Amino acid sequence: MPGIDECLLEAMRLPGARGAALVDWTSGLALGTVGEAPGGDHETTAAEAAELARMAAEHGAFAAQADDGQPPVEDLIVSNHDSYHLLRFVDTSFDSSVFLHLWLGREEGNLALARIRLGEMAARLVLG
Amino acid sequence: MTVVQIPPPPLPVRDKSATRALSPMLTRLAEERATGVLVREHGTLYLAEGRVVHAESPFAPGLDVLLTAHGTLAATAWQRAADRTAGPLHAAELLLASGLLPAGALELCHLDALYDAGYFALAPSSAPGRFRYDSGPRLGPLPSVPVVALERETLRRRLLLHRLWPDPAADSAPLIRADPAAGPAAAPVAPRQRAVLDRVDGVRTATQIARNLGRQAFHTLVDVRRLVAAGHVAPRPAAPVPPPPPPVTDPDIALLKRLRDALEAL
Repeated sequence: MPGIDECLLEAMRLPGARGAALVDWTSGLALGTVGEAPGGDHETTAAEAAELARMAAEHGAFAAQADDGQPPVEDLIVSNHDSYHLLRFVDTSFDSSVFLHLWLGREEGNLALARIRLGEMAARLVLG
Repeated sequence: MTVVQIPPPPLPVRDKSATRALSPMLTRLAEERATGVLVREHGTLYLAEGRVVHAESPFAPGLDVLLTAHGTLAATAWQRAADRTAGPLHAAELLLASGLLPAGALELCHLDALYDAGYFALAPSSAPGRFRYDSGPRLGPLPSVPVVALERETLRRRLLLHRLWPDPAADSAPLIRADPAAGPAAAPVAPRQRAVLDRVDGVRTATQIARNLGRQAFHTLVDVRRLVAAGHVAPRPAAPVPPPPPPVTDPDIALLKRLRDALEAL
């Protein structure tokens, strides 16, 4: 059963992975980081990514129709001309507000594969 | 129709140039990689080799509350682990070793509880903290946090609350629903804030609501300050002090004398 660090290291094995973090979107705190961060600063990246995640989670327009206790949003994808950012909300059985953030190089990264794998990792992190 | 909303302030980023420490004692304990227990007015930090391994505060729900409130762990399972160990941290380690909970979930919940209680433990206090050297706390299988990291995160959290709504009164006072007429008309309430708002009853404080919801107390402070800023919630004003009894300036001397005489005549 993986812990936080093992989960992040596994995410780093995806093709094109530059950096990964587990971030709390209420406080903006990175609970774990590995690899690089844009601008070299995981803390700033975590705070900015948390802001984006919170906006998506709190605005009804993006929420799933059925309110079944799961996070309202599954993931967020931001692309720019050289990289992808993939934010995957973690569905915990206890109360929390965390997501996995994966930064992928655009040349080597495979967004579809990364999205599937990150979803699996988020589930394994809290379900074993 | 266009709905114009003022965007919430951005999450603050730590100012790395700031060397402001919360407590000189904490800086010294980190430098000497101390092991022991730091008892402060609003909470307790357990240090092992200068790292925080566990934190407790009466204001923050512990790991037990976070894990059992939503059925992640049966209350009896926690109780069994707690009965066999010296404290909540050791109970968590036992749960980890027993495989009752996934490692990731337990680590995450442990860090949540540690930063949450640490925030209150490092709150400004009226009395100095006491440190007891004690070989009890040790680095275990669950993650620990450098003292400096907890200190900086606590400062960042204070700044976050201050930016959301600068008045800290709602952090500790019983909360009431604000007069809807006084606030901005029907500002939207996010689902997580709705759960907090539903528990505002004029009696509970923010940290009591957090415990009731099985949520981190700091997260609830964030929701409460947002709700106050949006005009939905307000701290209950302190009860007015009852007026002092009117000073007796004119004792009825004649009546007192008659009473004395009557008593003496008995």
